[in-house]
Amino acid sequence: MGVVRGVTLRGVDAVPVEVEVEITGGLFVISVVGLPDAAVREARERVRAALRSSGIPLRGRVAVNLAPADIPKEGALLDLPMALGMAVASGALPSPPPALYLGEVALDGRLRRGRGAVPAALLARQMGLPLFFPRENSSEVALVDGVEAFAVDSLPSLMEHLRGGAPLSPLERRTLSPGEPRVDTDLEDVKGQSGARRALEIAAAGHHNLFFVGAPGSGKTLLARALRGILPPLSSEEFLEVLRVRSADGQEEIPDLQPPFRAVHHTASTAAVCGGGSALRPGEVSLAHRGVLFLDELAEFRRDLLEALRQPLEDATITVSRATGSVTYPSRVLLVGAANPCPCGFWGDVIQPCRCAPQERERYRRRLSGPILDRIDLHVAVPRLSPEELVGLGDRRGESSARVRSRVIRAREIQRRRWEPFGYRCNAEIPERLLRRETPLGPTEAAFLRDAARRMTLSGRGLSRLLRVARTIADLDGDGAPLGVSHLAEALGYRPGALW
Amino acid sequence: MDGMAEGALFLLTLGAAGATNARIWQELSSRGSSWQELVEPGSDALWTALGVPPGTVRRFRGLAEGCFAEKEAERAAFQGVHLVTAADPSYPPALWDLADPPPALYVRGKWPLDSGGVAVVGTRRCTSYAFQVAQEVGRRVARAGRWLISGGAMGVDGGAHGGALESGGPTAAVFGTGVDVFFPAEHGDLFRRIVAQGGTLLSEFPLGTTGRPWQFPQRNRIIAALASRTVVVEAPGRSGALVTARRAMEMGRELWVVPGRIDENVCEGSNALLADGGFPLVDVAHFAETLGGQPLQGTLGLYGDEKYDLPSDLGDLERKILAQLRDRGDQTIDNLATGGTMSSAHISSALALLNVRGLVYPSGPGRWRASLKK
Repeated sequence: MGVVRGVTLRGVDAVPVEVEVEITGGLFVISVVGLPDAAVREARERVRAALRSSGIPLRGRVAVNLAPADIPKEGALLDLPMALGMAVASGALPSPPPALYLGEVALDGRLRRGRGAVPAALLARQMGLPLFFPRENSSEVALVDGVEAFAVDSLPSLMEHLRGGAPLSPLERRTLSPGEPRVDTDLEDVKGQSGARRALEIAAAGHHNLFFVGAPGSGKTLLARALRGILPPLSSEEFLEVLRVRSADGQEEIPDLQPPFRAVHHTASTAAVCGGGSALRPGEVSLAHRGVLFLDELAEFRRDLLEALRQPLEDATITVSRATGSVTYPSRVLLVGAANPCPCGFWGDVIQPCRCAPQERERYRRRLSGPILDRIDLHVAVPRLSPEELVGLGDRRGESSARVRSRVIRAREIQRRRWEPFGYRCNAEIPERLLRRETPLGPTEAAFLRDAARRMTLSGRGLSRLLRVARTIADLDGDGAPLGVSHLAEALGYRPGALW
Repeated sequence: MDGMAEGALFLLTLGAAGATNARIWQELSSRGSSWQELVEPGSDALWTALGVPPGTVRRFRGLAEGCFAEKEAERAAFQGVHLVTAADPSYPPALWDLADPPPALYVRGKWPLDSGGVAVVGTRRCTSYAFQVAQEVGRRVARAGRWLISGGAMGVDGGAHGGALESGGPTAAVFGTGVDVFFPAEHGDLFRRIVAQGGTLLSEFPLGTTGRPWQFPQRNRIIAALASRTVVVEAPGRSGALVTARRAMEMGRELWVVPGRIDENVCEGSNALLADGGFPLVDVAHFAETLGGQPLQGTLGLYGDEKYDLPSDLGDLERKILAQLRDRGDQTIDNLATGGTMSSAHISSALALLNVRGLVYPSGPGRWRASLKK
């Protein structure tokens, strides 16, 4: 009997699977048990052909058991361990050393690229086992350190290695340098909009969700895209989290240390955004993990989609349940929303009059504010400037993204030092109780906050949001800056009610 | 019905039949006839002599046959709605100044209103500037101890009612729907607050009447008649507020108009009223002074800021920003930043402080304006 270890994917995690193969006499047939999905069942044909082209003809009754029996097995990753198990069971190969084997085999014995190589590499690292995987996946696996990984071209070359013939050499690890971000929209090129720029800086520094409201053509989309250029590079752990999601989704392009930026169109389905579907793939909110999820024209999104986004925004993970069990994907995103102030878009505009009836405007606002806006820390109005005002601004260029980014990185560092002992990274993640304990308010500040809360009728949630934003503003001022009234006041300007 | 004036049920039916004029009540007594004659069969000649259109008569007979008035009075009693007909001693004399006073009023809240009320009207689609002005006028009227009367609509009406409530004054909303139908629904809270604070909701339409477009300009005559002074805040060329203003002028009531920019359609109607002789309301404080009963002062001097004390604890930056907003009107953070050496962070923070204190307000997305001088 041949026993070989493979993996199957469960969300963004790889789960070890023992592949047991037994061959007995009788008419030729291959049967696979252990909750295989269609791709796994079809492996029979691929594996048989691949073995034949490697010079191992199969005979007799071949029984394949995938253990543990109660976990559904998906995809073609189990082709390789099945092939090895059959080779061992037929006596053509000695029992291979303990390791994780994964890959889809072609009919001629080559190994094809598969999704989930990074989760498998992380599992191998955790279990202390070597990993054999298709060479086409090497660019992503090379980014995972602490694992002895072997890139395999084909089934015959792997069997040669296992027999002690021509040994494969372990994969060399690759490191990414942070480098300069690829910026397609530099803040330097954004004219005016100093209020919105400031909000971008705060959002990037504290990882706060951000909502832009403004007339069409005021530059909301441009500003949102400029966020990419001022976010700090991913730390190595964060990068691995991003890489793991992308690998589980089967994306070929290898990310760099830039946080992901995913723009979602409002026609997207709930499964596309939140994850799921019949093949269980991570959605946009998970692909944007540790980066930016941009929802332009927020008012156009279907309400159930926005409702579905509440949980991932709150918990930083999203759980997709199916009859076969549930999987959890990470989803710590910086949400950026943008919307017009009213259905026609020109309410309060200096150039074009608004054509909306007051009731229409009211309805529009209510539709927007319900499901998702109360999960957003920074509400920012983007004014459309009249031609006279644009001319009045002169030719002065704005501050460049690189300079803003350096301040953001410094503020992140301050936060990391403060919150690391508690297991957090950014101000936006901090529970209110911890925030109040670690950064107490002085008497003047507390009095100001009480007064403001009374006048502005701030809710409990509104207050804790205000404190988090104020903390980030203070952190942008530099190390050890105490939380002052001016920070609280500026944070007040970003509350939802201050816009309209 | 107990406690109801003689002929009240008749007037109630008359109003529900669509007769907008209670004058036939006076006409009847001057002819020495009684309303009972109109209910008798064969009264066509008398109806015609009173000038009531045949359609109204038909509807009246139908309603009278179905005992509409008795049922309506029961419904009203059940809902706590007070019925005031032209036969009632508490029917406001001011309404008789109208050419077509309403036969009956449905009232919820305090009754009667004091005389000398101020009507504040304007467009529903108002700018946030007009909303602020309406609010401030509402506050001033309430502080002067006068009733604030308006139509309970979105926009200017809502701002005026809200301002009056803020200053704890009584305010009356005249509905274009039944007094039990809250329209617009968004103002449900506002209407409940009006009643809770000793104000009044009233309507000439039967209970349960939903909003049809022609009802709103029709009820405007009641607003104009109940108030001794009408203020038009902002009105485009075709606006119900112009109906109110015209009716007020016909009755010789004082008309005040807030001047608007001449390049904006939203002020076209109100500016035309100025040209027709309305008093320009150029200073809210001055307007409020005249409410106190003093005669209009000779000239309206230009005054510096020193006359209007700013809170003493305002910082330099806040003062500077406030001065800039007052000098130049509507500004974005960018406009404010180019003026000086202030950083946008400081400006945002100062604007938020000023906003908390009610000294500035957003006039559109990302634009700020100084509030009216207090």
